[in-house]
Amino acid sequence: MTKTFTPNELIRYYYKETSEKENRKILNALICDPVLQEQYKEISKVIRQLDDVKFNPSDKVIKAILDYSRNADVHSLNK
Amino acid sequence: MSDSELISLYKNGNEEAFESIVNRHKRKVYTSIYLIVKDSYVAEDLLQETFIKVVKTVKSGRYNEEGKFLPWLMRIAHNLAVDFFRKEKRYPTIIMEDGDKIFNNLQFSEDSFESKQLVTDTHNKLKFMIKELPETQREVLVMRHYMEMSFQEIAEATGVSINTALGRMRYALINLRKKVRKYNIAYDKNIYPE
Repeated sequence: MTKTFTPNELIRYYYKETSEKENRKILNALICDPVLQEQYKEISKVIRQLDDVKFNPSDKVIKAILDYSRNADVHSLNK
Repeated sequence: MSDSELISLYKNGNEEAFESIVNRHKRKVYTSIYLIVKDSYVAEDLLQETFIKVVKTVKSGRYNEEGKFLPWLMRIAHNLAVDFFRKEKRYPTIIMEDGDKIFNNLQFSEDSFESKQLVTDTHNKLKFMIKELPETQREVLVMRHYMEMSFQEIAEATGVSINTALGRMRYALINLRKKVRKYNIAYDKNIYPE
């Protein structure tokens, strides 16, 4: 009989935190269980959307960081 | 070129290598910080502080070659953001030297240019939804997805069990799914009042 997996296990599977052995079992369960398949689809869909969320820092702050590095005195940093 | 190679060049004084490192990771670091502190000005300050720590550590020869650069960088950013967040919770309003207040809320952090896009930009809607998540859920989501920490690392960093961390992630995803559905069903420009 195919083991049923919890949403927590599906999340670990999505993020590749499951072992090879678990992967095989989960994959089998996903093939056989349409309910689990649906759950996994839902989880994957939401997580994939997270990839679209990106914020950009201003050019000003990046310039300040680069200027800091250029002007950083190695000797004083060692003190 | 890998991070490790760029850091080696930077150690030898190559500032262009540092620029490449900063440009490569700035969005990821900034996004992670911003989603925790929810204030663009604070997030920029902490982004700067994060990279200043990198500069000091590398230039003073204290950078540990054995560790991976990105997880180290993300750890610095996360610690600074969480420290800030916790202090901010104790003191919700900060008075600046000139007497201005910094509000720890969305109205201030959204910025006018950003809020204008919120009603039309799907990604921005999701940004807003993430920021609305309960703190513990948002923290795990940011740590797992944007900072690429494992659930084991998150559990250790937040002092909870792996199952609790996973449960928080699950609820974060459930909440986001609900919010996205709700938004899609009741599409209304008033979702974010002007």
